[in-house]
Amino acid sequence: MQKRVGIEAMNLYGGIASLDVLALCRHRGLDMPRFENLLMEEKTVALPYEDPVTFAVNAARPLIDQLSPEELARVEMVITCTESGIDFGKSLSTYLHPLLNLPSNCRLFEVKQACYSGTVGVQMAVNFLLGQTSPGAKVLVVTTDISRFALADSSAVQEWAYSEPSSGAGAVAMLLSDTPHIFAIDTGAYGNHAFEVMDTCRPGPDTEAGDADLSLMAYLDCCAGAFTDYARRVEGADFRETFDYLSFHTPFGGMVRGAHRHLMRKLYKADPDEIDADFEHRLRPSLAYGKRMGNSAGGALYVALAGTINTVPPLTDPVRIGLFSYGSGCCSEFFSGTVTPDGQSRLQGMNIPNALERRYPLTIEQYETLLSGDQVVRFGTKDAKLDCGIIPEVWPQAGDGKWLFLDAVDGYHRKYSWA
Amino acid sequence: MDSHAISELLIKMIRRTVPELADHAIGRNDAMADLGVDSIERSEIIIATLETIGLEVPMVQLHGPRNIGELADRIHAKQTP
Repeated sequence: MQKRVGIEAMNLYGGIASLDVLALCRHRGLDMPRFENLLMEEKTVALPYEDPVTFAVNAARPLIDQLSPEELARVEMVITCTESGIDFGKSLSTYLHPLLNLPSNCRLFEVKQACYSGTVGVQMAVNFLLGQTSPGAKVLVVTTDISRFALADSSAVQEWAYSEPSSGAGAVAMLLSDTPHIFAIDTGAYGNHAFEVMDTCRPGPDTEAGDADLSLMAYLDCCAGAFTDYARRVEGADFRETFDYLSFHTPFGGMVRGAHRHLMRKLYKADPDEIDADFEHRLRPSLAYGKRMGNSAGGALYVALAGTINTVPPLTDPVRIGLFSYGSGCCSEFFSGTVTPDGQSRLQGMNIPNALERRYPLTIEQYETLLSGDQVVRFGTKDAKLDCGIIPEVWPQAGDGKWLFLDAVDGYHRKYSWA
Repeated sequence: MDSHAISELLIKMIRRTVPELADHAIGRNDAMADLGVDSIERSEIIIATLETIGLEVPMVQLHGPRNIGELADRIHAKQTP
């Protein structure tokens, strides 16, 4: 029998502060007559004392705290997946290692391919586990991305305008193993579609550039191409019938709806009423958390997957979910897996909506203060001490010592503390 | 289908996708973005047009035209290799 591997435990972290996206669009003077069609509500905004490491650790710690010492000893690989790296050589995973008390016999590295990075990490873990080179091992895959692109110079806000409303922040931690309680990957069921395109990029440490139309077009081409390759590999695969639910990489919900409509037209010539009903049933649940965090890049597909698992009606039988991952530049993948009623109740136990609810809603003035970036630790900073009082209302009140923040930088070495 | 007919088809799809533009004068020199058509709507207009004329071409190959006339020219060129 084929070995089952996949996601044993999963958690997402959506920060401590949020911004109302419609208020931002109005403030920027963006004319969006049909704003509601874009399916955006809020986005997560990172504070200066938060960085890709704190996001990753704050996502992963609840999973690690649940492990027995014997289980913790089997975490043999940590893959950080990001386009928000803080060093050209040293991977984020080396910072995660001590903060999560992981064993020393551990493989630590980082992967990059824009928003596709999370799927690279997941598939590397899946293949390590299926390879049986270390039976019983566990792999910690953590996606972590934040966006602060107005920092470079005065023209950076204009450069970023096309994606500022949708650019969020977030991290997703996933423990993969041969006991996939949350999501069992369908072994060998995947399809890729890739080609070179300059749709969006991060050409400098604090800059992002891109073309919204070209990125949407590449996303649409990839969604059709990756599913076609999946169907070539998986006998009898049918986009409409095979998957009970779907989760797509979500720059914003409107793009997911566009891609779904494109596929349903292309494959079945479905009429608009059928397409809308299918979207509401199979894809709407996937937007539950992403519409509140904004685009979390490498983790956005897994934010969508968590939304699907947690917010579809209570499961009574296993269901199959089809996943579409896309990363600018570009590479994409369509793959699938199954979730059981037990998996649903386990993920619901992570209390993800409560954590999002606790975020502080920033005013536009507070957001602009953060955008000016006076307090932000830029790429390559040698020494710094962070001011945790920059917006006093935001600082988390829990005080249970389980929340990580960036305290200082000493000789390029980032120093973190718990609060 | 010649470029003029394709632009007429594009304009028909624009009016169908964005009902607010039903009575708005639209010509080959207009850019969809300037008419208030957002990026998702623009892609749907192009997809519906390609479907009607039975043309299958990667969407990224239709990126770049600055107005409806140029887009119609591009689609026309893809139609006749």
